[in-house]
Amino acid sequence: MTERGFFRWLRPWIFPAVLIAAFEWYARRASALGSDALAPPSAAAKAFAGAALDGSLWQATGFTLGTAALGLLLGAVLGIALGLVLGLSRRAAQLGSLSIEVLRPVPSVALIPLAMLTFGFGVRMELAIVAFATFWPLLVLVQSAVQQIEPRLLEVSRVLGLSARERAFKIVLPAIVPRLFVALRLGVAVALVVAVTVEIAANPNGMGYAMMIAQQSFDPALMLAWLGWIGVVGFAVNAGMLLLQRVVARRMGVQP
Amino acid sequence: MNDQSRVGPMNWLGSFAVLCALVALWWMASNAGWVSRVFLPTPQATFASLLDGLNLSGGSGNGELLAFTQATVGRMVQGWLLASLFGVLLGAAIGVSPAVRAWVQPTLEFIRPLPASALLPLAISIFGLNPGMVLFVVAFGAMWPVLLATVHGFAAVEPRLSEVARCLQMSRAAFVWKMGLPNAMPDILAGMRLALTIALIVAVVGEMIASQSGLGQAILLAARAFRASDLFAGIVLLGLIGFVSNALLALAEKRLLRWQQP
Amino acid sequence: MNAAADFLHFDGVAIRLGGREILSPTSFDVARGEFVCIVGPSGCGKTTLLRAASGLVTASAGEVRRNGVKMTEPSREVAFVFQDYGRALLPWRTVEGNVSLALEAAGVPASERAPRIADVLGKVGLGKHAQKFPVQLSGGMQQRAQIARCLAQKPELMMMDEPFGALDALTRQSLQDELARLVRETGLTVLFVTHDLEEAIYLGDRVIALQANPGPGRPSLARMIDVKIPRPRDQLTTKEHPEYLQLRRELFAFIEQGHD
Repeated sequence: MTERGFFRWLRPWIFPAVLIAAFEWYARRASALGSDALAPPSAAAKAFAGAALDGSLWQATGFTLGTAALGLLLGAVLGIALGLVLGLSRRAAQLGSLSIEVLRPVPSVALIPLAMLTFGFGVRMELAIVAFATFWPLLVLVQSAVQQIEPRLLEVSRVLGLSARERAFKIVLPAIVPRLFVALRLGVAVALVVAVTVEIAANPNGMGYAMMIAQQSFDPALMLAWLGWIGVVGFAVNAGMLLLQRVVARRMGVQP
Repeated sequence: MNDQSRVGPMNWLGSFAVLCALVALWWMASNAGWVSRVFLPTPQATFASLLDGLNLSGGSGNGELLAFTQATVGRMVQGWLLASLFGVLLGAAIGVSPAVRAWVQPTLEFIRPLPASALLPLAISIFGLNPGMVLFVVAFGAMWPVLLATVHGFAAVEPRLSEVARCLQMSRAAFVWKMGLPNAMPDILAGMRLALTIALIVAVVGEMIASQSGLGQAILLAARAFRASDLFAGIVLLGLIGFVSNALLALAEKRLLRWQQP
Repeated sequence: MNAAADFLHFDGVAIRLGGREILSPTSFDVARGEFVCIVGPSGCGKTTLLRAASGLVTASAGEVRRNGVKMTEPSREVAFVFQDYGRALLPWRTVEGNVSLALEAAGVPASERAPRIADVLGKVGLGKHAQKFPVQLSGGMQQRAQIARCLAQKPELMMMDEPFGALDALTRQSLQDELARLVRETGLTVLFVTHDLEEAIYLGDRVIALQANPGPGRPSLARMIDVKIPRPRDQLTTKEHPEYLQLRRELFAFIEQGHD
């Protein structure tokens, strides 16, 4: 049985290991023939270690994660607040619907030049775009979550004569916590993707920029190292959020 | 709960009024100088730029925006179509076989959170700065939501239907075509919707960094030259593209999935 | 040996699932054109027996023979009507499309399908609803659609797993009569599993009662009763027939015993 268990643990790694090995072989041949577009994974690993040791890895990663987090905080707070309002009041939802339908489809990347113009380069610009990008899914999901609260609970709050504030904190918020965490998980994913995208397109900070610079300096090993690292960070953050979401769901008594 | 029957013109009016109020706020903010016109052009200036750019203002405009829009939309749609085709084919191939899924799924889950735009530097490295490179990344990036959705759709066939297929002695091919694919349709369409959003994003970013003619490059240049009204005109157009493409796809989805509505 | 009697033969069929013996060795015959009802409490293995008979599940011991040939895999000639009709219909196809599936699987050319579909839909009374999707139909109509698809297979044998269990009493009664009429018209052989004793007596030529957890070495098959009530039967007069009442008493008593 231990062999079975070991194999199950190993299996997810076999396919990617084969791919990486194939890429290693191909990239070595390509560099031998003079191409500087690709680098073998082994070289990328060395470049990665170098960046880790000299601190550039951590600095850039910290920038991206930090800015994404701040942007998410802003977007989430606004989105959840408005989502609560629109979810609880059908009138408000109807009044706001057209404006939302008009503003929501604007792709966040379209605002990059505007943010550049307004804030220059740096944290604020990226944060603003992440906030815009995460605002909408959180608004929509929280609104939908509130609209799907068991109506019986809201009737109870009326019968008990709870104030609007009490109702929000004692009934509405706890009732939507599981779906809120699903929305937050999505928000985290969006925040990270948008942050990296902004760095690739314009902002000279963070992981995306580091990758662009590596490519422009004809350092494919470092570029691939960054690409891989971005993938790992994204995967880890998402996996962490998924775990959090599941823990919360269990604690809040959601049927699986 | 609340009175559900008041749908109709009154609500549209109220909603429209709110939108007008927002536009009025915009008008005030920029015309009265609450926000500098460098960052927030007036609505009328934006509108004028739009007319000029789309060649609707009686010959004095340069009509560039129209060409840029076509370029961006063209990239987006071509990339999306390619992405959908390959996404469904590959997704079906992986999804029908539990064995293949077991080997490959973890790798797919790793790729899922990767930003599509992150492939641009690699693609530039390999292909150089040209339209084909952007199209490649658009297609490749947009393919993953479709592929993942297709795999999921094929993996989750109602077991009762599999038994029906066995009772009818359906061939494997017939099972995939008549049960697997229709069953996966809702997932596939959802994936294609996401893919369209990604296609637009990557097209715009690709234009920005690879200096390819299109709305992405246009708004970047407008910002650098402090031409705020042109910038806003471009943003409006991009929003419009997002809106229309999503609406069309939602319509198609409704038609194709009308068996879901009682 | 009478050829008709040897149509379906259960020979010491036993089934183990998840380490438990669900069904201990069971043997009986079904003659061609017979309507056999299988009853028993939950866990007695009646559904499993049916699934083994249709090849969806493999027996751990013994075999099921149809026309002398051992049955191991599902076959088009054995139709299976599932209890959860909603999940056994393709939600993306209309009623007509669902029935057509059976014909497509059998390789019937497209030109011949329409009349056969119309014929079978007429038999179950769904002629006017051919273009509706399953989600637009009531439970009873969905079950009729499933039966129509099974009939389109032109089966020799129809297995029915508590087909009316999920329906309300009135729908159940009318479907029972429709089924009886259908079977009379087509001469189908039917194996009908139900937990409803009255339904079993009302519909069957023979009722087989299984017991749960018989104990080691004891058979799952506890009673086999012939129902000698004349046909056609109807919901009012048959249920006042002395034979019906007597069988009812016998079977109830037997089930009560089994609950000790």
